[in-house]
Amino acid sequence: MSPRFHAPYPGWDILDKWESPSFNDITRAVLRRRLTEVHARRFFTPAEWLAVQALCDVVMPQNDNPRPVPLADWIDAALHEGRSSGTRHADMPSPRDAWRQGIAALEAEAQARGADGFANLERDAQNAMLRDVDDGKVSTEHWHGLPPQRFFRNLVLAEIVAVYYAHPTGQSEIGYGGPASPRGYVRMQPNRADSWEAPPGDWPDEDTP
Amino acid sequence: MRPSARNTRNRDTRSAALGIGALAILGGAAILMQRRTQPKPRPKPRRKLRRSAAIMGASMLVDSAMEHFRGGFHNKAMLAAPVLAAASTLGATARAPHMLPVHATSVAVGAAGLGFHGYNIAKRPGGFNWDNLFYAAPIGAPGGLAVTGLLALASDAHTARHGRMLAGFTALATLAETAEVALLHFRGAWHNPAMYLPVTIPPIAAALLLEQALHPNPKTRGAARGAQRLMAAMGVVGTGFHIYGVSRQMGGWHNWRQNAFDGPPVSAPSSFIALALSGKAALDLMEGAP
Amino acid sequence: MSHAHRPRAIDGQAPDVFSRDDTVPMRQFADTDEVDFAIVGTGCGGGVLAAKLAEAGFSVVAFDAGAFWRPLSDFASDEREQEKLYWLDPRISDGADPLEFGSNNSGRSVGGSSVHFQMVALRFRPEWFAARSRLGYAIDWPVDWREMWRYYDEVERACAISGPLTYPWGPDRGRYPYRAHEVNAAGQVLARGAEALGVDWAPTPLATVSAPRGKSPPCVYRGMCKIGCSTNAKQSVLVTYIPRALDAGAEIRDLAMVTRIATDRQGRATGVEYHRDGQSRFQKARNVVCAGYSIETPRLLLNSANARQPTGLANSSDTVGRYLMVHLNDAIWSVMDDEIRWYKGPPSMACCEHWNYIDDHPDKDFDGGYAFMSQGPLPTDYARTLVTNSGVFGHELRRKMALYNRMAGLKMVGETMPCADNRVTLAEETDAFGVPRAHVTYAHDDNDRRMRRHARAFMAQMLEAAGGRDLLETSSTAHLMGGCRMGADPETSVTDSDGRTWDVPNLWVCDGSLMPTGGGVNPSMTIMANAARIADRIKTLCASGTSERAHG
Repeated sequence: MSPRFHAPYPGWDILDKWESPSFNDITRAVLRRRLTEVHARRFFTPAEWLAVQALCDVVMPQNDNPRPVPLADWIDAALHEGRSSGTRHADMPSPRDAWRQGIAALEAEAQARGADGFANLERDAQNAMLRDVDDGKVSTEHWHGLPPQRFFRNLVLAEIVAVYYAHPTGQSEIGYGGPASPRGYVRMQPNRADSWEAPPGDWPDEDTP
Repeated sequence: MRPSARNTRNRDTRSAALGIGALAILGGAAILMQRRTQPKPRPKPRRKLRRSAAIMGASMLVDSAMEHFRGGFHNKAMLAAPVLAAASTLGATARAPHMLPVHATSVAVGAAGLGFHGYNIAKRPGGFNWDNLFYAAPIGAPGGLAVTGLLALASDAHTARHGRMLAGFTALATLAETAEVALLHFRGAWHNPAMYLPVTIPPIAAALLLEQALHPNPKTRGAARGAQRLMAAMGVVGTGFHIYGVSRQMGGWHNWRQNAFDGPPVSAPSSFIALALSGKAALDLMEGAP
Repeated sequence: MSHAHRPRAIDGQAPDVFSRDDTVPMRQFADTDEVDFAIVGTGCGGGVLAAKLAEAGFSVVAFDAGAFWRPLSDFASDEREQEKLYWLDPRISDGADPLEFGSNNSGRSVGGSSVHFQMVALRFRPEWFAARSRLGYAIDWPVDWREMWRYYDEVERACAISGPLTYPWGPDRGRYPYRAHEVNAAGQVLARGAEALGVDWAPTPLATVSAPRGKSPPCVYRGMCKIGCSTNAKQSVLVTYIPRALDAGAEIRDLAMVTRIATDRQGRATGVEYHRDGQSRFQKARNVVCAGYSIETPRLLLNSANARQPTGLANSSDTVGRYLMVHLNDAIWSVMDDEIRWYKGPPSMACCEHWNYIDDHPDKDFDGGYAFMSQGPLPTDYARTLVTNSGVFGHELRRKMALYNRMAGLKMVGETMPCADNRVTLAEETDAFGVPRAHVTYAHDDNDRRMRRHARAFMAQMLEAAGGRDLLETSSTAHLMGGCRMGADPETSVTDSDGRTWDVPNLWVCDGSLMPTGGGVNPSMTIMANAARIADRIKTLCASGTSERAHG
């Protein structure tokens, strides 16, 4: 169903610029921590942990990444630290409770579909189930008033992409320029890139006219 | 004095004061030296013109190479400008007739470049508006290559009549250069008061030179010559300003791969030195120096 | 994380924002000094007011709940790290169309949201200041447009706005202090689309310098304006008015959360209760100014209720917290054939105010107006927009994100109508200081929906005209306005035209919450211009004896 992922900028790694004027001290310090400080699970229970890892895997499949981004670990850390976004929807509990409740609902939903838990569903069934969650085609009794779509989009998806595309792996994959201070960019015209940007990208036919 | 928290123009006013002071000393010395060395034989106009063409050519070489590199040489014709600027610069040291094809090509390519640059401006959204004049291909820049070629060709000039023609040409080239400076310093919001100097001194120098071209007058020729010397000194001081300008961009010279391009062009002010040499050569010819 | 956990503006020193680790002298006041003005908030409202009042000789203490940053050494090129600039304490978001806060519209730093704003420096259309009487919708401002436009001049000079030499819409506005920047590829998409449709466009006037300005180097086009400018090219309140305030003898108290305004038996404000560095304190003041923006200002007034004013301070009209407005921020995104690399340069370098200046057109089926700008979201920002609007995940998500460098977008800033039911109230849940959290209720009305439909269709048409394919529509809101509106009628507004509350003569409001209408442009310049105007009004009132009140 979903086409395999084709990387448009193979070989581009923003970390190659680590010593260049594109990086300053504070950015190096922040990224050093991001790359090295991965905490062990502190928030989720072992059972939830399996489901969360499977969820991250379905949402952001990384089987082609030589160094996969530890998404579940970062979500766990953010919840443990009580990181907030500034918004709590009135129909949602606090992020910690929402995650617990949502993961339980996903597990119950998976069990209703004949598996032990979300992690044990076949990949296609996982995809189908998440699409149903997004469409609201789920049994409401598992969700206890938690809005499935809001949980899935605003918490699960939003948090996973926030971690993945803040990571050099995700940023390099899309050909983003990466850190840029003190050096920014000179060439502002279409199809022009500075020598410290990714070389021109290459997309499969379906994305090219 | 209590240190101030706010952003101030101190860097600009102080550097302007320093620069204008330096210009006063350098320009004053240049003008005074002219008086003192009057009895000594001056360098021949030919040598001045060759030097003028070489300086102008070198300035054009650096400028066009950098600007066209910035443009990624996306059109192969963009290579022509630095290549010819290099050829004319080297050629300027030889006798003009041998190098005629080179210099003539520089003139032709410079003229054609005006068309290319006009096209580059016109095809951007907004067409010929201020923003594209500021940031698209610089409208007058290729003229500098043509001027280089013409200066090199002019080094064979030897009559007073040639001198008048050269004076007129140099005056017009100076005015064109002033227009370009005005455009770019306007883009820079005249943030440093010294940015007004290259739109003040060169027009005066050009006017005095033009007067000599139209109505040769030995009485005011000294003033014309002094103005040329002052303009040359301004070219030197201006280069210093531009080097300083790059240093105060974010990251300074350490970030030269950005700032040498986005900051003030270091090679640009030296074109006024070239024009001043040419102007002096013209005045020499009018005074009968071969 | 390198958050500033301890206050930095202490011991007679404040951070030198133009340095990596230096300080500058700062005058300090004791809690027991009855200062002329205690200002709560240091953004586009409070920061401007603090500077101008201190320069006029008043004693001023300005509080901010956020940190006092030195951009050169504190701001990383990293979206996640830079969330430290936002107000991340949760607000409860309710209603038919609940709002997003945090990175979307709420700053928490000395300098306020201007530290992370995208620098779009537009002016209100003159007629909007008389929206009811001249255009037939919403309500008039109690201020004449010419006066506001004079103050736009003032704040645009103070922030050295880089703008075009000719602006296609509205009355002549003189020359911007700095020239416009080179429009990036993302902006040129808007420009080409506009030219194909035959409508005007302009390089966006931006609060980042295109040439050196003293200690501010020109913009290097790193494109991270929304997460804080690490070069000081951005002319935020943090690097413009805050240093001016310090020079003039104002004290800035960073990491100082004001929780309550105290009043005496006559109902006059006597000072503010605040928390700083683990201590509960009280600052005496002759005047108190709320400048915490559209959520925190109403929250503070409501939390300062007393026996005489049980529904909240200055709330006899029951208007505090009401008429909260946002901007419609819907966008159209498309895949281009060119590599655009929209991460380069400020995010919105080209703009179109076409529909702000058109009243009678058969296609225009809504009141108010909208502008739209070219876009350049950073990776996680764009990814979040993508997933929260479309629910896409898996390989399809990665494929869509892999088109990042070929995307272009147009995003509207659309005026919403002031509605009494869109409001801030106090939630039952409290924050770490024991102050009830803000509860925000918001719903769009039919006019908003018509405008959104119109704008989406028009922007889609323009993107297609520029060569865009595979269009994606997303929905969002941006900015906050209103919540403590000023007006001519004490029954329907919180303050008079000077920002002085109708109920408490020495209590003022000076921020975006004063705005009676939202207009179809980004609000920062309007908030600053209004603050500059209020500062001058306060000077005039004090010169003539403070009892005189402005009439409307």
